[in-house]
Amino acid sequence: MLPEMTEELEELTLLETLDHLLDRGVVVAGDAVISIGDVDLLYLGLNIVLANVDAIIRTGRKS
Amino acid sequence: MKSVIIGAHLRRDDIEPLAEVLPAADVFLSGLAVADDQPLGDRELLLRVARVRASLLERATFIAIRYGFAASTANEAMAKCAAHLDRWRALLEQHREEVEMTLKVLARERVPRPDRHDFVSGAEYLKALHAATAAVDVDPEFRSAAEEAMGKGRWLHRDNASLELAALVARDGVERVRGAGEELKRRFPGVPFLLSGPWPLEVFADADRE
Repeated sequence: MLPEMTEELEELTLLETLDHLLDRGVVVAGDAVISIGDVDLLYLGLNIVLANVDAIIRTGRKS
Repeated sequence: MKSVIIGAHLRRDDIEPLAEVLPAADVFLSGLAVADDQPLGDRELLLRVARVRASLLERATFIAIRYGFAASTANEAMAKCAAHLDRWRALLEQHREEVEMTLKVLARERVPRPDRHDFVSGAEYLKALHAATAAVDVDPEFRSAAEEAMGKGRWLHRDNASLELAALVARDGVERVRGAGEELKRRFPGVPFLLSGPWPLEVFADADRE
């Protein structure tokens, strides 16, 4: 595999890993405020809802 | 110190010594200890958590807790998770031998994303965004083939241009699904998709997605 391809693959894997970390799993009530560059985050009321904006929208669609 | 909570596990030895153990009734929470003033948005911390998460999954299947939940004590963590604990225990027992895999696929057509400036209220704008996301679809033939490759799963609308199929796969079936993904690539060269995993229980542990 070419070095550039390996680098691209690693970057893709990292992005996918972070996407799952930030956009998947059970949301538990918390009390922290988080901001991460280039990722839109929201803080709602007393419960923290950490996700990118699209994830918030998908959750909102169900309510 | 506080702990960044990573997941909920069936057994203590699913966690130790890879991460800190926080007992919570009939399950065990995994955590990463950090200083109280440690910003959770720190890039290095995110990457550390991601690495520990991957190591924990190699050990045993667990329920992923979305990044951002931190607690100072096991009691605090347990109190905040109290409403979930019975369900988590049942899910962990049920899916002990399974992991999640996901297939993200580009939609047949990108549905135009609404422009915020076209809406007077934020609520109307959000509704329009929901509608744009829900309208996205993939080629029916690809959809069937993906379901055949991945097994029974759930389709999730990602945004106005892509969908995702999340499926439960036997822990020893991951390579078979990867092989099926390669076959999908050959069969549908014009459909861009990304098959990834294994992941802990994410979609299938999220009550909001049921």
